[in-house]
Formats: sequence, structure tokens, C-alpha cells
Amino acid sequence: MKIGIPVLDDLLKEIPRGKTLTYYIDPEVEGDVFGMQTLYRNLEEGYRCVYVTSTMSPMSLRNRFKEFGWFVDDFEKFSIVDAYSSYVGATSDEKYVVKDPTNLDEFDEVIRKAIDENDLIVFGSLSTIIDICGEETLTYFEKWKKYAENSVIVSNFTAWPYPEEILNKVKDMSNAVVKIGGIHHRVILGHYYGILKVDWTQVKGRAVLFKVVKPGGVKAYIPKILVTGPFNAGKSTFVHAISNKAISVDRLGTTVALDHGKVEYKGFTIDVFGTPGQERFDPILRVLGSEALGVILVIDSTKPETFPRAKQLLEKTTQFGLPYVIAANKQDLPNALKPEEIRKLMHLPEDVPIIPTVATKKIGVYEVLDALIKLLIGEGYGKSEGAT
Amino acid sequence: MRIDILDIDIDSNNIMVIGPPLVGKSIFVRNIVLEKVSGGSGGIYITTKDTAETILDWFQKFNLNEIKIIDCVSRTIFSDAPDTDDIKRVSIMDLTGISVRINMFLERFWKSGKRDVVIAFDSVSTVLMYLNPQTVFRFLHVLTNRIKSFGAFAFYTVDENMHDERTIAMLKQLFNGVIELKDEGNRRIFRYVSPSIRTEWKEFNIVNDKLEVLS
Repeated sequence: MKIGIPVLDDLLKEIPRGKTLTYYIDPEVEGDVFGMQTLYRNLEEGYRCVYVTSTMSPMSLRNRFKEFGWFVDDFEKFSIVDAYSSYVGATSDEKYVVKDPTNLDEFDEVIRKAIDENDLIVFGSLSTIIDICGEETLTYFEKWKKYAENSVIVSNFTAWPYPEEILNKVKDMSNAVVKIGGIHHRVILGHYYGILKVDWTQVKGRAVLFKVVKPGGVKAYIPKILVTGPFNAGKSTFVHAISNKAISVDRLGTTVALDHGKVEYKGFTIDVFGTPGQERFDPILRVLGSEALGVILVIDSTKPETFPRAKQLLEKTTQFGLPYVIAANKQDLPNALKPEEIRKLMHLPEDVPIIPTVATKKIGVYEVLDALIKLLIGEGYGKSEGAT
Repeated sequence: MRIDILDIDIDSNNIMVIGPPLVGKSIFVRNIVLEKVSGGSGGIYITTKDTAETILDWFQKFNLNEIKIIDCVSRTIFSDAPDTDDIKRVSIMDLTGISVRINMFLERFWKSGKRDVVIAFDSVSTVLMYLNPQTVFRFLHVLTNRIKSFGAFAFYTVDENMHDERTIAMLKQLFNGVIELKDEGNRRIFRYVSPSIRTEWKEFNIVNDKLEVLS
């Protein structure tokens, strides 16, 4: 079976029959599209696919597929397990109907029949079945998993704050777990997915940022981080220090257009853009800031007279609500101010990370990147459980 | 946050508006949203009792169009009315869908520079008719944290007599402020209670859908 999700197709190749894949979704992220996309990709391959709906009517489900440009009814091999209509007191014409979605034995009968007659079964919301039928759902899920030795089970699971025991059990009972997370700031600025676990192949843990496009579905993209700061603060040196590959457009030793670097770090591929410090280039900041996910402000710790300009740049780049980190550069020079002195002089809030750096010697530069990634995705990704 | 129409200051981000059926909770929160959005705040109305069109009609009576609506009714009753930029429809069973759409609107406000946002969730009691209290608690736990993190103000209506004491006590853990409404036969009263503020009981009236505080 195919996965149908960019990058995962390359990493996992395919889902072998008899295996289960769980999309483990942050409650605030539009993650149901993952299960839908996997199903549609396999319909295109000619497989018999069935979708279990517990959160919306079959009509709404078909319309939701259509939003992404996926016309599932064009495929004879598509069917629905309707575990929704009866719950809200409506009738159903679907091929498979769970007449009492609160009764796991009835669920069991229908799901086994669906497994018998299909190659792929996608649970639209495993968490909703748990919410309605209780934790015992997971015992049944184990049984379905064993029963489906010739087919594949894929489930969307929303990781609400359940007891740890339930969350761990969901991960343990799946052969592969893909985390769908949000980049949290004051709002969710972006989304990512990464493999937490897989037992049929060895893969290197990798996080991919994505957007949900209508029509189109899940599309991967490369995040941008903006490196800004006053003239001669060391921005270009910083970009080169953290990048695996970097280029600068220079004239007379200072940047007049852009530094651009590509960073491979902790499973992320990140585009880093360094901006010129001179005021005449400020319009560029507006364009780059609107597309970036975070900002690194590089300042010369020995020149407090440049701090007002640094604050001005920060205001211009963070007007879109982006999180930011301060790189207090040139810490190896005499009279370099300490981070707390800089915080006081620049009137920065206590929760803004100020990291001492010496970009010319690559000291502290990865700590800056760590601090920004922590602001963006918290501690949520990076602890692989099978992915290496 | 100052609410002129009630003549009170609110110091909590997540406020439960609790009272008996027909005391006027929905009109009460609509009036708060009306005041704040008319004054330039962003507004999101999550409706589990009326369709988006009913809510929009109500606000348009007062010349307010700039309201985002999450309609949890249309999809539940099998309507296929389409989404628009400002109206998103989702089944009441789809808590993830509700959560995602609230975040989508918050993100839009955030990116447009709008930081003052007021939200009405009308009503939590309807959600509790479909899903068990633990499930609703988990959903509201995530939502109230997001509201606090954003710095928005959200008002959640709850029918006092529809749920057992344990459910109400569990819900109260999530909210750091409560507006209590009471019907005392010939008059209706309210007060705001938080860890640091406890107002006097004030009498109110609803005339042509407009809230009037009498004392």
C-alpha cells in the first residue's frame, strides 16, 4: 500500500500488508487530511479502500474529499463505514453501517466485515471512537490489527490530553507512528510531521513542514528563518556559521542584498536568510518577514549605540507575530555586554532568549538555533522511538 | 478588559456564563461580542444551537458584519451549506475540526495584527449532550490554554440545571472567571466572580435583543 504523503513515500516506501500506521495528531492541527490522502492515493492504485467516519456524515465526508479535489465516488472500490448517522439519529444508505456506535461488539462485527472485503481501512478518528466507547476500544483495535493480516489499517488519532497510558498504548500498538504537530507561538504558525516509530524499515528521523492546500492536500515546504541585525553585527558570519551551504551577495565587504544558507539540523531542512543592516534595504524585511517562521536578531554586544536600530529591525520583522531569539555576538571582544545587561538596555521581556555567541568561531550559534526551534515546536519533536 | 454594557472589568481570559435555561445567556454573550467587535476587536462566535445564518442575522440587525462564525449545527443536521471565508461549518462531534477552525481564525487575526479578540462559545451544554464530560473537558482544556496564550477573552455559556454538580465542578476548573445569571421571578440579575473580583449583583433587562443593566 502507498502512503501518498510527500517525503514519507520516500522514507517508508510503502506499508506492508498486515501493518498499521497511525497519524498521531496535535489537537489544534488539521490532520484528518493525512488519512484521507493515504486512502485516495491507494484508490488511484486500484485498491479497495474503506473510510470509517465517526465525526461527520457520509455526505460531509464526500464533500470534504472534494475540497481537496478527490472525487472518491468515481471509484467503485471506495466505501464508507458509517459510524456517525445512527449516533445523531439519522438513517444511512452506506454499504457498512454501525447501528449503535456506542456498542463495541457491533462495531467489531462491521469492522471485521470491512477488513474482509477491503485492502485498506482508514479510521477517520480513532480518538472519537475512544471518546464514545471508552478505553476498551484499544483492546478491540488490537484484535482488528491481528485480524487484518492481509490488509492495512491506517488511523487518524487526535492526541487530546488523555492519560499517558492511553497515549502510549496507541503508539505501542501501531507498527508506524507519524506525528503531526503544530508550531506553537501565541497562535499556531505552521505545521510539521515526522516519523516517531516504524518497525518495517530503518529510517532517519526527519521533520517536514507542510501546508494543507485545497485542492491538493498535504504539501511539504521548507521553512525560512530570518537573520537580521544592525550594520556590521556579524549577520553574514552567523549565517555561514550555522549553514551547511551558504552564499552571500557582497560589495565592498558588506552585504548589499542577501545571505542565503541551507541548514540541516535535528531532522529539519531550513532556509536561512540574512538581511542587510542598512536602512535602505528595510523594504526587503517586510517581504521576508511575511514568509518566515522565526527571527534571529544578531547584535554587536560591544556597541550599545546600535541597540535602538536593533529594536527597530526587530519591530519590523516581528510585526507578523513571529517568535525571535537574540544572538549577543562578539562576546570574545573586550567590553562585550552580558546578556542580562543587553536585556536591560534593550528592554526585552524575560522570556526572550539572549544567547552569547562568537560567530567567527561558531561559538553559541547552534544554541541560538536550538532556542528558536524550542520556541517554534517546543520539546515535541526529536525524541524518536524507532526512527534513528 | 472593560465591558461597558455590563459596567464591569473582566480579569480572566476564560469566563463561564452560567444560569438557568431562558435567563438570556446567549443574548448576554452576543451583546458582549457586539460591543467589543463594534469597538474594533476581532470576534469569533462558536454556535452549537443556531445556524451561522441565524447568528449573522442577529449581528447584522446591529449593523455588524465583521464576525467569524463556527457553525456546529448545519453539518450535524445534514445540511450541505458551503463554508465561506468567515463561516466555517463542522459537526458538533468533530471536536478536532472545531479546534482547528478556532485556531485558523486566531491565526488570521494574529497575522493581520489584531490582538484584541473576543470569543463566544454558545453553548458548552449542547456539546455535553453529544459527548461525555471527560471528552469535553479535554477539548476545553486545550481550547482555554490557547485562548490564554493568545490573550483573547472567551465566554462559554453553560445551562445550570442541565448537568450534575460533578460536571459543573469539573468545568469550573477550566475557567478563571464566572458570570452568574439568575432569574428571580420578576427580575433577572448577574454578577462577575473571579479570584480577585466579586461584583455586586446587578439587575438586567433585554429589550429588542439589547442588554440593559438597570442598577
